[in-house]
Amino acid sequence: MTFRSCPHESEIKALLERGHWPNASTAELRTNAASCRVCSDLVLVTQAFRGARAASVNAANLNTPGVLWWRAQLRRRNEAIARMSKPILGAQVFALSITLLTAVGLVISQAKHGLHWLSWFGDAQQPGGFRLDSLWPSAGLTSILPNWNLGLLIPALAMLALLGGVVLYLASEKQ
Amino acid sequence: MPWELILPSELNSLAGEAQPAIQLPMDNDAFAGFYERSARSLWAYLARVSGDAALADDLVQESYVRFLCATGSPSVAEGEVASRRYLFRIATNLLRDHWRRPKSSSIDDIPEEFFACADGSGQSDSLAMLGPALALMRPRDRQILWLAYAEGYSHREIAEVTGLATASIRLLLFRARRKIAHLLRNPVQSAPKGAANEMNHLNAGRQP
Repeated sequence: MTFRSCPHESEIKALLERGHWPNASTAELRTNAASCRVCSDLVLVTQAFRGARAASVNAANLNTPGVLWWRAQLRRRNEAIARMSKPILGAQVFALSITLLTAVGLVISQAKHGLHWLSWFGDAQQPGGFRLDSLWPSAGLTSILPNWNLGLLIPALAMLALLGGVVLYLASEKQ
Repeated sequence: MPWELILPSELNSLAGEAQPAIQLPMDNDAFAGFYERSARSLWAYLARVSGDAALADDLVQESYVRFLCATGSPSVAEGEVASRRYLFRIATNLLRDHWRRPKSSSIDDIPEEFFACADGSGQSDSLAMLGPALALMRPRDRQILWLAYAEGYSHREIAEVTGLATASIRLLLFRARRKIAHLLRNPVQSAPKGAANEMNHLNAGRQP
């Protein structure tokens, strides 16, 4: 199919758009529209579509705008909640993984220096027998960090996990 | 640092007792006016291009909700023409998504009105003439023909709505116009029975 155009096409198109065709058109344009394939197609198609549009707009069965407005508000609210929940979940997962890593590290450290869990349970049953020191091997983390004692180390790790979670939350929220 | 600064603004609005409305591109009154002026032409576009009035009802609602929820929606200051074009773009994408989904072909899914006869009013003559021809066109051709000749959109505007290149719209439109003009001139030879029924279904039950 070859692409052809007619010099009168834009003129006829403008008349059709304004609804002035064929009454306000010149005899020359009408003659051209009758003989030119491009222009006759334009007139036929435009009139068919304009007529169909006029018939269709009256057939529309529409909701009230208030219903749609309310639905949009609800959807935006749900999206906002979902957006906020995402970084919170990420922070929780991060904090949990840090805690698990710490716990696994402690268990491995304990296992390397001999398990004392049973003796700890035995001591705990006696009055005044509960001692946290008994859980901890003498050459545990304190040997790696000689200037730190357990009372500082555990809160520091907990604080690290907490701050890591907050930082992750803020980073996710900004995205 | 106060929590109000850390938490996102949406959470503050949800946590407070007096909850302010979620920010939308238009206020309620502006939207009502825009809806009244644009909804019927959007419905006509969707109904004629899809050939399904019920689908057009659903897609019109979804288009407006997405329009209000979208962060890139034009604001009132950008003008109604831009908003209208954006709305048609959303509707076009929704229609495309619908066509991509697998279809159900059970006869139980076809409403009773599908088999009703068309009335003889003057406006329905246009539909009776155009409907079968339109049903024989490809979906993309139906879209661009409707946007060009029913809505009066320019090639650039059609390109924005459909996502096609502006340069290709002219040629696509020329071919589609040539084809539909042929179908309109020779309706008896080319229109299948199903196409006429489809458009009768659109007319039936929709007369006010």
